[in-house]
Amino acid sequence: MAKIAQRGLIRARELYEHREARAQELANKGKKVIGYFCSYTPVEIFTALDIVPYRIQGKVGKPAEKAGQYLESIVCPFVRSCFDLAIGGEYNFLSGAVIPHTCDAMHRLYDIWKYHLKPPYSYSLYVPHMTHQASYEFFQKEIENLKTGVEQFVGRSASEKDLIRAISLHNHSRALLRKLYELRKQEPPLISGSEVMWVLIAGMTTPIQEFNELMEEVVAEVRNRKPSHDTKPRLLISGSEVDDDSLMRLVEESGANVVMDDLCTGSRFFWQDVDPSKGAIPGLAERYLGVTCPRTYRPGKAAQRFSYLGDFIREWKAQGVILYTIRFCDTYQLDAPEMKDYIQSLGLPVLFLEDTYVTSPIGQWKTRVEAFLETIEARRE
Amino acid sequence: MAEETKTEPKQKTSSAKSTESAKKIRYIVKRMYQKAQQAKEQNLKVAYCMVMCNYEEILEALDVVQVYTENYAGLCAVKREAEQYMKKAQAEGYSDVLCGYAQVGIGFDAWRHELGGAMPPDAPDGGMPEPDVLLGCSMGCDPRWKWYQALGRYKDTPIYNMEVLMPPSDADFDAIKDYYVRYMAEELRGLIAFLEKQTGKKMDYDRLTAIVKQVEETRQWWRKAYDLRRALPCPMSTQDHFVIFVPHHMLLTDPITLDFYKGLYDELKGRVDNKIGVIDDERYRLLWGVGIPPWHSMYILDYFQEFGAVFAAETAYMIPEPFEMPANVKDPVELIALRAFERNSAMQRRGKEAGSIPPLAQAHLERIRDFSIDGVVMHITRSCRAATMGQILTRQVIRDHYPRMPVMFMESDIVDLETYSEAESKNQIDTFMEMVGTYKKSSR
Repeated sequence: MAKIAQRGLIRARELYEHREARAQELANKGKKVIGYFCSYTPVEIFTALDIVPYRIQGKVGKPAEKAGQYLESIVCPFVRSCFDLAIGGEYNFLSGAVIPHTCDAMHRLYDIWKYHLKPPYSYSLYVPHMTHQASYEFFQKEIENLKTGVEQFVGRSASEKDLIRAISLHNHSRALLRKLYELRKQEPPLISGSEVMWVLIAGMTTPIQEFNELMEEVVAEVRNRKPSHDTKPRLLISGSEVDDDSLMRLVEESGANVVMDDLCTGSRFFWQDVDPSKGAIPGLAERYLGVTCPRTYRPGKAAQRFSYLGDFIREWKAQGVILYTIRFCDTYQLDAPEMKDYIQSLGLPVLFLEDTYVTSPIGQWKTRVEAFLETIEARRE
Repeated sequence: MAEETKTEPKQKTSSAKSTESAKKIRYIVKRMYQKAQQAKEQNLKVAYCMVMCNYEEILEALDVVQVYTENYAGLCAVKREAEQYMKKAQAEGYSDVLCGYAQVGIGFDAWRHELGGAMPPDAPDGGMPEPDVLLGCSMGCDPRWKWYQALGRYKDTPIYNMEVLMPPSDADFDAIKDYYVRYMAEELRGLIAFLEKQTGKKMDYDRLTAIVKQVEETRQWWRKAYDLRRALPCPMSTQDHFVIFVPHHMLLTDPITLDFYKGLYDELKGRVDNKIGVIDDERYRLLWGVGIPPWHSMYILDYFQEFGAVFAAETAYMIPEPFEMPANVKDPVELIALRAFERNSAMQRRGKEAGSIPPLAQAHLERIRDFSIDGVVMHITRSCRAATMGQILTRQVIRDHYPRMPVMFMESDIVDLETYSEAESKNQIDTFMEMVGTYKKSSR
């Protein structure tokens, strides 16, 4: 098992590189670790029951050797990659899996995962696609059901107080991440997009208490950095699952600073707090149904739906946007052209990249990224 | 644009039909689009809709004319006229692997937008009229509501996207029933409020109740007719099914629909009584497994008949599960919500009771058992994730229960002709039918 450094960004990087190591170590000591997908799973339920939530991820660039026997070739390549790792035994340390019904791929993955991997515990969490008042009420019931199921699995229950405590821990983590993101507003930013990626992945794979300690160190470490004087184009990356730093590295090594993101594995994962004032479960339902993934319907025209993106662009002074989608992701593909229109209406250039994840073309994107950065440089001049 | 991308029909793409009922459908479809195009003259509101959303009765009760956009895309594919709209959508920035139906629909409306609201030239069957409302639904797949949101690029048409729930396969159905039904009912009430505002009409709940009852009667007749296909020889093939579903899915509340399925029953009963099969010498019975068919080349299904094989059943465009209307539920909205829950959890329940069989696989196992099936054909469609993902799992479950039963995966698309190779499909069918022959011989 990999030996992980003790502190700060070095620890975050090592946790990123050996992302399953800490959870595996805890599982070996008898701790329950439950795997989950997507930004829509209310992980506070696990924390309240002293279970480690572990966000299931794929492996960019690793061929999905076994998945082809189980999943059709037109299935989301991210899902294929995750399943490939699982069927290859890399997720054997998980005691269970929570797969939210977020998109078609996730919905159908549930039966396949359960049939072939036979996890001791599994739950398909129905996340409403709509955001009507009744949708929130329904989602509360679903979260209650999830809680009941996990309680039965571990043989203990979580009180309202336990839930509020867990919410508080996760809200603290979110606040620290937002602090870190504040440090990206500077010109140039005090932390790179790649470094942020390491931190985020560490947060998805370690117990929240440990992550909060790490975050305190990381924020202090980054805050004490001496700002450099180089002024590179400032980019925002918007898309779905980016759980690997190769895209960030490519962009940053090509001469840009990634200063903000709108990713399932980025700001979308932590931006909003849970407000427990009306009760823990209603707070969780409201917060998680508020996640801005294209799989949830939000009424209104583009300017209204993507206004949060406009706010990010303005506040982080982004000068260009990379729209990153994974092939076969219908919900993102149906939003992308309108999102592109919206960003362009704000006067920013957009680079649209479609990834195949497993056989990622990231290496081939260098020329396109460089040309895009030249466009931004020309505008800056 | 029409000149640049339009593909002229090269050949007849439809399959051979064995029933007189199926032969009526082309006329019914033409009439359906004509009526929709005339709706504006009659001051009626037109809705873009998706099939099987449980809102048909509500639309009928408020005199909203229904235009089923997925199926218009299917019609374009049958006529090999889909490509021009797909190319338009792709030029607008949409992915070439996005749902083929959505590509056609978005391309169609983008083109209409470009023409200042005029109908794209030579649109099949006169084209889809400009909608007054867009009514998506979450059941089935994501594009079924996301597509209408994307149309916001081209029109300011009011949208109501509605949740229709599909419970997970291993749910505790008794525990979830109450809040599932409650949510569905609230979604339907939201739709009624939305449509009352858009149409300026008030819902007549007695009329709605009557329509709900009529729909149930229609379904009973279709189910009775469908079950006659268990007979040997099979009186009607999947080729017929893939047009016969049209009145139910797109004209559910039309007065002709009930009579159509009664007529279908009579016709099939006559064929069964007189032992008239789809083909003279039925040697093998096949199941068209999950997967929307290749609308662009339906005649490929006829090729199986050259081996003496008949598609006796299918798991695509299925008849809704039976529903006993409880006498104590008087509110038609509650009734529709309850019906949606019972139907959408029926296969899950039976699969769970049968030993944790995934619902999709359960549907196949039931058809294999009830329709004396010798082999299964599934269609892997490049642009339809929802109907494709899970096919390998289904094959696995079939093999758990029928270890030697041949299962074939045909690969192409629902709309995109470029993915289709006739020679390759025929080669595959040749091999598959050999396996079916061996299987049948050994299982005697």
